[in-house]
Amino acid sequence: MSVISTTDLSMVFGHNRALDDLDVDVHAGVTGLVGANGAGKTTFMSIVLGLRYPTTGRVEVLGLDAQADGTEVRALVGYGPERNLLPEDMPASDFVKHLAEVRGMPRSEARGRASDALWLVGLGEERFRALGTMSTGQRQRVKLAQAIASDPSLVLLDEPTDGLDPVQRDEMLVLIRQISDEYGIDVLLSSHLLEEVERICDHVVALDAGRLIAQGRLADLVGDEEGVMVDLVEIPDRPDAIRGVVARLRGDGLEVHHEDGSTRIAVVGPDADLVADRVRDALAESGARVGRIERRRRNLEDLFAPGPA
Amino acid sequence: MADNGAQILDRGYRRYEGSRSGTVGAVRSVAWHTTRSILGLGRKARHKIFPVIVVVIAFIPAIVFLGLTVLIGDLLEDELQPEYWELFGFSNVAIVLFATLVAPEAIVRDRRDGMLSLYLSTPLTRSTYVAAKVIATLGTMSIITIGPPILALLGYTFQSQGPGGVLEWFEVLAKLVVSGLLIVAVLTAVSLGASSLTDRRAFASVAVIMIMIGSLTVTAVLINVAGGSQSLGALSPFSAFEVAPRMFGDRSEDAEEVETWLVVAATFGWIAAGSSVLWWKYRRLGAV
Repeated sequence: MSVISTTDLSMVFGHNRALDDLDVDVHAGVTGLVGANGAGKTTFMSIVLGLRYPTTGRVEVLGLDAQADGTEVRALVGYGPERNLLPEDMPASDFVKHLAEVRGMPRSEARGRASDALWLVGLGEERFRALGTMSTGQRQRVKLAQAIASDPSLVLLDEPTDGLDPVQRDEMLVLIRQISDEYGIDVLLSSHLLEEVERICDHVVALDAGRLIAQGRLADLVGDEEGVMVDLVEIPDRPDAIRGVVARLRGDGLEVHHEDGSTRIAVVGPDADLVADRVRDALAESGARVGRIERRRRNLEDLFAPGPA
Repeated sequence: MADNGAQILDRGYRRYEGSRSGTVGAVRSVAWHTTRSILGLGRKARHKIFPVIVVVIAFIPAIVFLGLTVLIGDLLEDELQPEYWELFGFSNVAIVLFATLVAPEAIVRDRRDGMLSLYLSTPLTRSTYVAAKVIATLGTMSIITIGPPILALLGYTFQSQGPGGVLEWFEVLAKLVVSGLLIVAVLTAVSLGASSLTDRRAFASVAVIMIMIGSLTVTAVLINVAGGSQSLGALSPFSAFEVAPRMFGDRSEDAEEVETWLVVAATFGWIAAGSSVLWWKYRRLGAV
C-alpha cells in the first residue's frame, strides 16, 4: 500500500507550473524526494500536508484525502521544515513537548515523549538548553525530535541536512535511517543532494521543474554497471580514429553516445563486461590512443541528464 | 547495598496507542502557550517587565479606591465612590499599554521564529491558529480590563457598600463582564490586526499606537478645535470605552451627545475592521 499517492496532481502559481500532472506513489520505508531547488519539492510537501490545495488532481496520505481530511492527516504526520528558524529563548525540551501537545499528545505523555525523542537524537544531556544557544547541527536534531515525538506514522523532512558539516550530515542520515528501520516510521526526505539520498533511501521520486522524471526503488534506478566511458586522444596521423571506434561499436549493436568534435564516448550495453571487451577490440583496431577508460555506474544524476554524455 | 528494586531502563522509542486531542487540544495548547509567552512566564526576567508593569498600573486605581473604602469608607461621601463602569476609564492607560506593547507578542513572534509553519503542519488550520491567538489575547487582556472592576465590586460588597440584593449584584457583575469583553474585543482586534502586518514587534507596537493615539488625537482636534460633533469620537477605538457607561444607563461627559446605537455600531465596526485585516493577512500567508 502506498503511504502517499497522487493522481494527475498539478499546482499552478500564476504563469508558473510548480507541479505538472504528477502520478506519484510513495511506499513504506525511506523515500527520497529529489530535485534541484525550485523543482517543486516543498510545494509537493505542503500539498501532502493539506496546506495547499492543488490546482488539479488528488492526493491520498495514509489512506486519507489530504484536502478533505487535512486535519486528520496532519495529526498522523510529523514535519521537519527546511528553515532553521526556531524560538531562540525556548529550551529544547519545552519546544518538543509543546509541539507534541499541539499534535494531540496529552500533556503528561508529551513531556515524557519529548525527553525520549531528544535522547534518541543524541540531545539528552542538552535538552534544557535554549534553542538559540545550539549549533546548526543540534537545531537540525531538535527539528527531527519534534517531528517524531508525537509518534507519527509518516515524517516529512525538508532538507534535513542543510547547513551541516560532513560528520554531522553522516550522523543525521544514520538517525533518519534509524527512524524507519527501528521505529517503523515511514520517511519522505526532500533533498537536492543526490549522494545522500542514494545512501539511505529505499525509494526515489525525482522531480525536475515540477515534472516527474523517475520514481521507484532506488536499486532499480541506480547502481548497475551499464557500460564504459572512454576518453580518447586524437592523433594527428589518424584523424578518423574516434569516428572509426564509434562506427565499429555501433556496428556491434551497442548504444554509443558521442558528440561530433568530442573526444569522449560513452558506451552502454546489456552487459558491462561484454561492452568492455568490445571497446577494447575497437580501440585496438583503430589504433586510437586512450586517455582514460572507466566503468560507468548509473547514479541519480543520470535521471536529470539527457543522456550519458 | 540494599536492593530497593530501582532500575535504570532504556525506554527507547515507544509507540503511542492512546487517544489524540485533535483540533481542540491543539487550540488549547497554543492558546495556553501564547498566554504564557505574552505574560513572560517561563522566559527571562526582561520579558516579564512590561506585563508586570501593565498589571500593576491596571489594578492600582481599583486597589486605591478599595483601600480608601476599607480604611475611611464611613467618612467618604457617596460622590467620591466611583461608579463601577468608571473603573474601566481609570485603567484604560494600562489596557492601551497592553494592547500596544504586550499583545503584539501573541502573533508577531511566531512568524519571526518559524513557529507558524510548524503550527500549520499540525492539526491546526490558519483559522484555528488565529482562533487560539485571539483566545489567548482576549483572555490575557480580560485580566487587566475586567479584573479591576470585579475586584472593586467584591471589595465594596465585603464592605457592605456593594449592590443591594443578590439579583442586583449579579446584574452589575454581568454588565461589567459584558462591557469589559466588548472593550477587550475591540482592542484585541485592533492590536492583532495591526500586528499581522509586520514581523517586527516594535513596528507592530508603533502601528497599534498610530491607530489608537493617532485616531484619538485626530478626533479630539475635530471635536474640540474644529467644533465637530462628539459622534466623531466613534472614529477612534477608544469609543469602545463608552460601552461601559451605556451598559449602566449612564453617559460619560465626553460622549453625552453620542447616540447609543452609534456607540454599539462603532464598537462592532472596530471589531470587524481589525478581524478582517487579521483574517485577510493570515489567509494570504504561505504555510510551509
